[in-house]
Amino acid sequence: MNMCEKVRTQLGMLLYGELSFDEEEAVDRHVEGCAECRTALEQQRQLHAAFDQVEVEPLASLLWESRQKLQQQIAAEHPPVALRRGWWDQLVDSLTLRPTGNGGWLKTAGALALLTIGFLGARMAPNLGPQISGMSLADPGAQRVRSVEPAANGGIQIVLDETRQRVVSGQLDDQNIRVLLLSAAKDPSDPGLRYETVGILNDRAQASEVRDTLIYALEHDENAGVRLKAMDGLRPFVTQPEVRKALTGVLLSDGNPGMRTQAIDLLTQGVGESTNDLTGHALDRDVIGTLQELMNRENNAYVRQRGQRVLQLVNASAETY
Amino acid sequence: MAQTAGIQADEKALIRAAQEGDQDAFGQLVRAYDKSVLRLALNLLRSPEDAQDVYQEAFLRVYRNLNSFRFDCSFHTWLYRIVTNLCLDHMRKRKVRREESSQVEGLDGPVDRMDTFQELRADGDPQRSMFSGELRRGIQKALSELTVRERMVFELRHYQGMKLRDIGETLGTTEEAAKNCLFRATQKMRVALGDFV
Repeated sequence: MNMCEKVRTQLGMLLYGELSFDEEEAVDRHVEGCAECRTALEQQRQLHAAFDQVEVEPLASLLWESRQKLQQQIAAEHPPVALRRGWWDQLVDSLTLRPTGNGGWLKTAGALALLTIGFLGARMAPNLGPQISGMSLADPGAQRVRSVEPAANGGIQIVLDETRQRVVSGQLDDQNIRVLLLSAAKDPSDPGLRYETVGILNDRAQASEVRDTLIYALEHDENAGVRLKAMDGLRPFVTQPEVRKALTGVLLSDGNPGMRTQAIDLLTQGVGESTNDLTGHALDRDVIGTLQELMNRENNAYVRQRGQRVLQLVNASAETY
Repeated sequence: MAQTAGIQADEKALIRAAQEGDQDAFGQLVRAYDKSVLRLALNLLRSPEDAQDVYQEAFLRVYRNLNSFRFDCSFHTWLYRIVTNLCLDHMRKRKVRREESSQVEGLDGPVDRMDTFQELRADGDPQRSMFSGELRRGIQKALSELTVRERMVFELRHYQGMKLRDIGETLGTTEEAAKNCLFRATQKMRVALGDFV
């Protein structure tokens, strides 16, 4: 094996940084003086860059579902034991009659009928009326001791900063609950919360304020799982102009191919289902135009295939001229 | 270096707390690793359902056996040993059964059904949208033709960014054996994809 052949077998390892110091030194020296091996190294770099392009990033919704299932399985298999508790919890317990709590991570989301909203309750509910339980020392929340000093009676005085949690319960149609849910659906810090909230709101999409929130999520949420959930909720309202407009936007600009596929299905639902309906009268010209525009820009083979299939069913060209 | 040592100390404290029954600590451990576990399984198995199965089984095993973890190796190595074994089992069964590939036949030829599941990569490289479907299919075909162990080592080195020494430890082999495996994998890939670059 001559030097060029030897070096070329080492290029992959060189890029992975897995050659020994001496091997790397020898390869570098050779490549510096050999144009062909420099080209081979460049090709190897391109190949590595190409590998990166086929890496699949799991959908946020898949991760969320996986976490939920794991929580459920662990909770079912082994009921959580009491948390090991810190000195502050013990102090608080000694002052109140709170029963010992179970592990926070294993607390599952509340049932639909009882909406439990933690930090949001404190952050966003200005005045929610007497049905909301008040905060007590026993309420869990983020706490920080700012200062501690002896009090005159021999005790201690502690100044505590805390983010308060409150539990808000009510029916889905309660205005206060509705306000919280509409805000939670846009909470930028927690995609899991938005996903759950949008799922709950889907049951009330007949209300225009809820529908507007779902459309907002469909158009603006950075998480594809949340966008997909919002699209599910809008499914029964697909004939409404504002929903069709949002779906058209998804079709042409959503970065996720799964979303674009779903948008095609919704905008063209019913087309081709009946053998007598192959003339395209059920599909308005705007949608045909959007699909044709999509064909001009779509790179994903699966989405193209779905779009082409619909255009074929309505005897429309796949191109615009 | 001091920061890494701090992170390791934090992790050790979390593990000890979880071993004593602190569910929040266990939850934090899961969240520290679960996205990369799911990504590894999804890339190796090319099936969201199978990837989710591996995720569940791996973390359930961690949960059940955490008390037997004695810090003989890093938690990462221990967890990945579990995950890679589960993935290898899936991949071997699939090879034996010659199960379905991730591709389905479409009007324009084969279509990767993962296209309908995957999230765009976070770096959002605009080149991606221009990426040739042919090259993409070529890479996937070349990957599927690697042996199960070559595929695993390649995945851990290229996509997970693990060093060969850690890969060897995770897979219960030597660094040298992992290096040979990676070498064979990259040579095969280069031959299979030579026409594209």
